[in-house]
Amino acid sequence: MNIRDQFREGLITNNPITVQQIGMCATMAITTSLFNGVGMGLSVLIILTCCNVVVSAVRKIIPNEIRLAIFVVIIASFVTIVDLLLKAYIPALSDSLGVFIPLIVVNCIIIGRAEAFCQKNDIKASFFDGIFQGLGYTVILIVMCVIRELLGSGRFGGGLIDVAKGFRFTLDGTGGGIQIFPSEFGASILTLPFGGFLTLGVVIAAMQYFLKKSAREKKAAEEAAAEAARLAAEQEED
Amino acid sequence: MLTNILSIALGAILIDNFIFSQFLGCCPFLGCSNKVDTAAGMGIAVVFVMGLASAICWVVDTYVLVPLGLEFLETLAFILVIAALVQFVEMFLKKSVPSLYAALGIYLPLITTNCAVLGVVLLNVQNHYNFIESVVYGITGGLGFMLAIVLFASVRERIDFADYPDCFEGFPIALVSAGLLALAFMGFSGMKIF
Amino acid sequence: MKDNKIVKLSLVLFLVCAIAAGVLGVVYNLTKPTIDRRALEKTTAAFAAVLEAESYEVVDTGAYTLDRSVNSVYKASDGSGYVVESTFSGAQGNITMVVGVKSDYTCSGISITEHSETSGLGAVAASASDAGVAFREQFIGVGENVTVKDIDAIAGATITSTAVTNAVATSITTVKTIEGGAAA
Repeated sequence: MNIRDQFREGLITNNPITVQQIGMCATMAITTSLFNGVGMGLSVLIILTCCNVVVSAVRKIIPNEIRLAIFVVIIASFVTIVDLLLKAYIPALSDSLGVFIPLIVVNCIIIGRAEAFCQKNDIKASFFDGIFQGLGYTVILIVMCVIRELLGSGRFGGGLIDVAKGFRFTLDGTGGGIQIFPSEFGASILTLPFGGFLTLGVVIAAMQYFLKKSAREKKAAEEAAAEAARLAAEQEED
Repeated sequence: MLTNILSIALGAILIDNFIFSQFLGCCPFLGCSNKVDTAAGMGIAVVFVMGLASAICWVVDTYVLVPLGLEFLETLAFILVIAALVQFVEMFLKKSVPSLYAALGIYLPLITTNCAVLGVVLLNVQNHYNFIESVVYGITGGLGFMLAIVLFASVRERIDFADYPDCFEGFPIALVSAGLLALAFMGFSGMKIF
Repeated sequence: MKDNKIVKLSLVLFLVCAIAAGVLGVVYNLTKPTIDRRALEKTTAAFAAVLEAESYEVVDTGAYTLDRSVNSVYKASDGSGYVVESTFSGAQGNITMVVGVKSDYTCSGISITEHSETSGLGAVAASASDAGVAFREQFIGVGENVTVKDIDAIAGATITSTAVTNAVATSITTVKTIEGGAAA
């Protein structure tokens, strides 16, 4: 398995959210502003990569019977470290994600990758697996945030982009974002729990549509190629 | 005291339902809701584990972690307590109450990674609940989860006969239906016991 | 043999936990000063926003029967009033806020320190936006009989607005109780 395949797998064909369909609680709960989405995505990416590397490094020395318990301890440690660092250096993000940071411990993505991938692969492959799976997760979070924020309150980049004090990025959560249209015209229902379920459903449906379409096209192309080869062979026979 | 407990219970079951307003426990909610029977089994198992976990984690937190100044180990300690608890409950049921084990057994291992369980113990600490409040919050939170998953399973059994676009097959249509249920549960927000 | 294996497994697990706890302890001690400083800055900023004073001293609330929503009460060192911290349940969870109460039992300002209200609706109450500032400023000068009818509630967030109004009214009542107790 090379890096390019892993990249494709993490982002599209085996995306943690849209294809494996795991780790959805946080996906629906926190995707109300770009600030939350990027913060959560990157936290998961960092934790996932660290856990993957450590699990892969110790995979040969830990006894098989208690491997899950050890994985859980490793994951919980990294989650706590990230939680403490966020509290100290990006408190606004820690406030706004609240209980969902410690809950990364039970996010099935991390234990799932440890069990399914890192146990069998070397450190390098596990490292890239962590990065790309984490990226796949982050991308879907960002897509959800952009849709919910734009349609819900007419904004883009809430909390992250500060227009009032000149166009710049902030990390203290005070940025108002870019107002695309007045928030009164937004369907604010999308920022409520209902919007989380609906948006994720639509995003997964869109992904399924395109995956099926590309699978169909691939199949059609293969059939066409086979047909052409057959015709060429027939012509040669003539 | 009593009104306090009643308002925690009402909040956990209806107003701040674990699934529909706090998004805790969505994985088993979507994964185990194809049939009403399985959903009810999962629900009962969750009520059981959430109640027990709230009680034990409260004791661990109040008598071990806080006196030693080790609050930063809460996440680590709680997940280990939950994992051990689930194992223990599984062994206990297998030996002593085989009939209950036959009904709940397959759901128990799944509960360790149910974020509703870890979520409830973390929220207990965050909300500074005392022992009774924690246990009530755990059990009623589980009941809220059970209500949600049983309702949702009944809806899902009907979805099989519905006509929807192909690309919504599987999870997407389930998510949209869950969203509509969440919308219905929004009607409870603002209810209060004084 | 079997016992041996169990002992070995427990030892390994114990070792792993010990290492994890050790690493976390180091990180915790490194980040603790910063976290504490942030928390202090946040409280000081919130206090200064609601009632200007040089320093604040904690009031022992054990001596009075107060509303159970009240977390703590601070007295301004110059005697200009009190700062009351209370927690009320909003639409999505608890709202923790500090309310400044002047010695004539009117509100001198409010600041919401913790909440989980809906972004774009209830969260406006705590936001730094114009609408948020306008919402909070209308509480300046109100007395203990304030109800949600007396203020312009945030559109689409009646529950949040009611919770904030109740917190203001309760805070003023609390200060009255404490002052009354001191006089008696």
